[in-house]
Amino acid sequence: MQPFFYERADTLEAATRAMSGRPGAAGDVQFIAGGTTLVDLMRLDVMRPDRVIDINPLRGGLNQIEVTAQGLRLGAMVRMAEAAQHPHIVSDYPVIAQALNLAASQQIRNMASLGGNLLQRTRCDYFREASFACNKREPGSGCAALNGINRQHAVLGTSDHCIAAYPGDLAQALIALDAVIEVTGPEGRRMLPLADLHRLPRDTPHLETNLRPGEIITLITVPAGVWTRRSRYVKIRDRDSYAFALASAAVAIDLDGETVRQARIALGGVAARPWRAREAEAALAGQALDEASATKAAERAFAEASPREHNGFKVALGKATLVRALLETRDMKV
Amino acid sequence: MPDQANAAAPAPLHNMGSPVPRIDGRLKVTGEARYAADFPINNLAHGVLLTSSIAKGEVSKIDLSRAREVPGVLMIVSYGDADGLEKPKFGNSTSSSMAPLASRQIFHDGQIIALIVADHVEAASQAAALIKLSYVTKAPTASFGDPGAEILLAKSVSPLHAEDPEVGNVEEALRGAAVTLEARYTTPTQHHNPIELFSTTCVWSDDELTVYEPSQNVYGFRAEIAKQLKIDLQKVRVISPYIGGAFGSKGPVTPRTAIVALAAKQLNRPVRCVVTRAQGFTTATFRAETQHHIRLGATEDGHLLGYTHEGWELTSRPDPYVVGGTDTTSRLYAYGAVSTKVNLVRADRNTPGFMRSPPETPYMFALESALDELALKLKIDPVEFRRLNDTMTDPISGKPYSSRSLIACFDQAAKAFGWSGQPKTPRSVRDGDWLVGQGCAAAVYPTIAGPATARVRLSANGAVRVQTASHEIGNGIRTVAAQMAVERLGTDVAACTVEMGDTNLPPAPVAGGSNSTASVCSAVLKASDAIRKTLFDAAIGGKGALAGRDPSTLDLKAGHVVGADGTQVALSDLFDSMGIGVIEHYAEFIPEGMKPDAVQELYAGQGKLSGGPKGKMLQYAFGAEFVEVRVHSRTGEIRVPRIVGAFAAGRIMNIRTARSQLMGGMIWGISAALLEATEVDRTLARYVNRDLADYMVPVNADIQQVDVILVPEDDMTVNPAGVKGLGELGNVGTTAAIANAVYQATGVRVRDLPIRLDALV
Amino acid sequence: MDDPLPPGRDSAGFGRRRFLAGSASVGVLPIAARAASEPSAAETVRQRHFTKLTINDQVYQLELDDRVSLLDALRDHVGLTGSKKGCDHGQCGACTVLADGDRILSCLTFAAMAEGRKITTIEGLAGPDGHLHPMQQAFIDHDAFQCGYCTPGQIMSAVACVKEGHAKNDAELRDSMSGNLCRCAAYPNIVAAIKQARDQMHGI
Repeated sequence: MQPFFYERADTLEAATRAMSGRPGAAGDVQFIAGGTTLVDLMRLDVMRPDRVIDINPLRGGLNQIEVTAQGLRLGAMVRMAEAAQHPHIVSDYPVIAQALNLAASQQIRNMASLGGNLLQRTRCDYFREASFACNKREPGSGCAALNGINRQHAVLGTSDHCIAAYPGDLAQALIALDAVIEVTGPEGRRMLPLADLHRLPRDTPHLETNLRPGEIITLITVPAGVWTRRSRYVKIRDRDSYAFALASAAVAIDLDGETVRQARIALGGVAARPWRAREAEAALAGQALDEASATKAAERAFAEASPREHNGFKVALGKATLVRALLETRDMKV
Repeated sequence: MPDQANAAAPAPLHNMGSPVPRIDGRLKVTGEARYAADFPINNLAHGVLLTSSIAKGEVSKIDLSRAREVPGVLMIVSYGDADGLEKPKFGNSTSSSMAPLASRQIFHDGQIIALIVADHVEAASQAAALIKLSYVTKAPTASFGDPGAEILLAKSVSPLHAEDPEVGNVEEALRGAAVTLEARYTTPTQHHNPIELFSTTCVWSDDELTVYEPSQNVYGFRAEIAKQLKIDLQKVRVISPYIGGAFGSKGPVTPRTAIVALAAKQLNRPVRCVVTRAQGFTTATFRAETQHHIRLGATEDGHLLGYTHEGWELTSRPDPYVVGGTDTTSRLYAYGAVSTKVNLVRADRNTPGFMRSPPETPYMFALESALDELALKLKIDPVEFRRLNDTMTDPISGKPYSSRSLIACFDQAAKAFGWSGQPKTPRSVRDGDWLVGQGCAAAVYPTIAGPATARVRLSANGAVRVQTASHEIGNGIRTVAAQMAVERLGTDVAACTVEMGDTNLPPAPVAGGSNSTASVCSAVLKASDAIRKTLFDAAIGGKGALAGRDPSTLDLKAGHVVGADGTQVALSDLFDSMGIGVIEHYAEFIPEGMKPDAVQELYAGQGKLSGGPKGKMLQYAFGAEFVEVRVHSRTGEIRVPRIVGAFAAGRIMNIRTARSQLMGGMIWGISAALLEATEVDRTLARYVNRDLADYMVPVNADIQQVDVILVPEDDMTVNPAGVKGLGELGNVGTTAAIANAVYQATGVRVRDLPIRLDALV
Repeated sequence: MDDPLPPGRDSAGFGRRRFLAGSASVGVLPIAARAASEPSAAETVRQRHFTKLTINDQVYQLELDDRVSLLDALRDHVGLTGSKKGCDHGQCGACTVLADGDRILSCLTFAAMAEGRKITTIEGLAGPDGHLHPMQQAFIDHDAFQCGYCTPGQIMSAVACVKEGHAKNDAELRDSMSGNLCRCAAYPNIVAAIKQARDQMHGI
């Protein structure tokens, strides 16, 4: 690990001011909350910030969960464990609670913040080992995963520059529910749909988000709606716990009897960023939700999939996961 | 000890020892047990390894200048600095003949290039990242079938595999068979990944060196390190009282140790190097990938007529490491005719090494899968198929098994499992969305022992001390050694201390081949019996209540020498009459058939092991494993909710620790069947998943019902203790049992491990 | 929809310039020319702070490099070696300690960030007279360890698991303890031990 300057930010203003620094000045600056991504990658010499700003002292709305008639307001510094067990989230937004509970381990959930979780980085082994060619880590160096071991990699949203999968769970649950995040920076606050936070790799895989210099996620809002209670997160992995998704599906359905008024679908484990599957949603609108229509929706979701040598199974698995999630959600007693 | 019976402490049957709790339990649950990297050392400097990021070629340039500028860096050992070391020869105590600093040539990914030593570990790793390397890279050979892979007959190049067992005319036999099966199987690269990281701490005092390193082989280490450093082995002490998991990985000396010792000598300061998890994949050993081609033939009613088994095993370029599991599989059933062949395939990789039941694990996966496939073709229950082909005679040599309870294991496990024996149509059993399947397979492991020594001391106050340089890797050897001593000396384990894992103690064999209990207990037995003799001679010789008795009628109980009629003399009185405070005896155990200089070899760090097929009778332990698997009908996840294993391993010293070993073994088997694989990038010949997130082992949630049945078995011919090793028995039958069950659940026969949902979805 | 990039700057979060290859392999491998600003060694002055840690109800004043993890502070600077390093990347759970009663991974926590929290390690679990905590005794009773290396982390995690209320049934308990790997595979015995201790802890 390379040396860095450690400082604590007591106020949001201090934090964003520290982050923005002087444009063009030496060094990268990172915020640290739970540290479960940052310390890990710093120890691998994949991330080498010159300054690390500890935002744990920040208080106020950042640490609170608020339930209103308009929906949920989740402070970005709320720990995953707290949100995962919040009775209102468990009962009224089950897809969020499930996505959190199926992620990581209790120790990590106790440490990690919601905002930090959204910003977690890929688990691609070629990214995580600094001596492999990796366009995300070192632009222009190549992508060793393309012709390497790519079983865990993405089949949607990839490019020839990067096929890394976004590994998180919470983001899918949130974008399926049309979450909007508030970010705060030197130029003030702005809101953006969570679905617009993460970028596709294209030819700039090193640019992962649309956060501007100095911006920090401060709030996650989830609009209320009848579909939030009929929602579910299905996560498929090699072992029964403490593993990243091979494929996952976050599903929320506005069901009118047997007919889908609107389905909301986001896919994980299979895509380069949290993946809202709008074509699949369109295929279900106004349909009875059954094996046939669910299968058709899943086909649509993966129509543009580009499998590589080892991850072809993710196409079939991704479809099966989505079908399973749709039917299980349909069958929920709500 | 708790009164209530619990699953961990079943009731002993027959000749089984009671479930005494581990005597090191308190130390382990309080964090007081010291593992190698826990020892507090004054003035410690910290070393970090730098390893290569190419698999083949040469380091053309190495620039240490920026690394040296990091505040706190004390020295960097690299090319040219280790020329005074002797190069290791590949053998039992060394992982490889490759001496990484002897030349700039790179033989494998992750080869040691430098050791950076600093006064704090953060500076050392910072400096390591600032070392600038230039390579001249050559295209490496990663594995089977890659350009440059070199195939050789194992028996021509490796002393570890002297011959390919065969008997009869197998081609003729197969031609005459009513039903045949031909199939190919593969197993992947695997790594031991014990939770304790590899580490080396070297402390010099003048010309004497103390090494703290987790080791399954302290005497072997001592001799080998002394040899590499070109010093007298009497000047080296290896200390390893607790090992945080080994499974074979901590048996051989690896190249880092001598380099750390060198740095400590030159700095005149102790140095500790903790190897990172990622570095552990390439700087130590691993289980090589294998391929198998099996042919079997049988009569219509299920009698085997012929068996051929050809295996391919990967190894490094310079070192002919081989496991040759056909040595076991060829003797297992009444095959009729047998032909086997083991090939080595050389590639640009680090050298493999022993990993839990090295030969049996891959080869039995292939054989027990093939037998199941043939049983299905024959429409015979796989359990009955084993019964029909059971044998008490080795088909290769004609020698008898000293004891063999394979069918009893199958029958007991089948009953406990609820095995119906009716062959089921695949995909015919469902539970909701889950397809259910059942499968079974045999487990086998040779009974091995080695020369061992022990010193046992009895004090006037009844305290017992056992000293032997054996290795507590979690097998419970401290506890069973104490049990053996106190059984002979008529007292309780609470009165007994056991010292192990230190070359200042009398030597014991490497903790390999599951020999520890058999070898160590035999030595402890002898030393304890020598104490009994001293006490009984004093009791019958003096003027006490037992004067003149026949010593064979005496026993030791609860601090007294007792006669057959109940007359007793207190030990304290006996010691008083002898005028001494302690009685201490040293004893040596040599397995039958080994030469008298076997103990001298042990002291020299060259101890040998014997057993299995080598003696007048075959010595093996057996088991049978039955599993239920569930496969999700949509998304293909494979889960094992239930596994039952029945095992017969001669005398069981402690049914608590034995059960835990077998349970742990079966869970290892589940892991190997469904999760473990080191992924090798075929272009770069580099391991890609070098951490515990991507090298998957089971988590708690993966494991549900695991039932261990210990089948009583008597065999006093194997060694004086009557013990057969079982630490490496439990994982041998699991992979095939699971593959067989997956077939029944899904109709898909997976012949390549690990079985993942990729093949099923 | 991706924002267009302002000229000369990349989007914050992950500044473009700082992704340098770790082990400096230059040469015939196709790695692009390194970005401009590697720190010179002269700039890499050690960053150290006085850090006050409260461990097992005792206060320690340590002068630590900012990079020191809580795990390394415990093991190398305070001398409490009960917490173990199994991976140093938050993947095995052997380093689990309690911070204000919450189970956390000490290897992924900078020591400086543990200031102000009450840290409990395995050494702080037994009573002052040496009386074992019910969880420790249960682990002995049920043979819930073999080599013992993961055991301190298992026990700390288990104590917290029970207090969190995540040990109500077997399935929940197993899942909740899945952040602690055991390669000796003592899992069924670990589950049995936790259930015994749970019943005793709730009865206390």
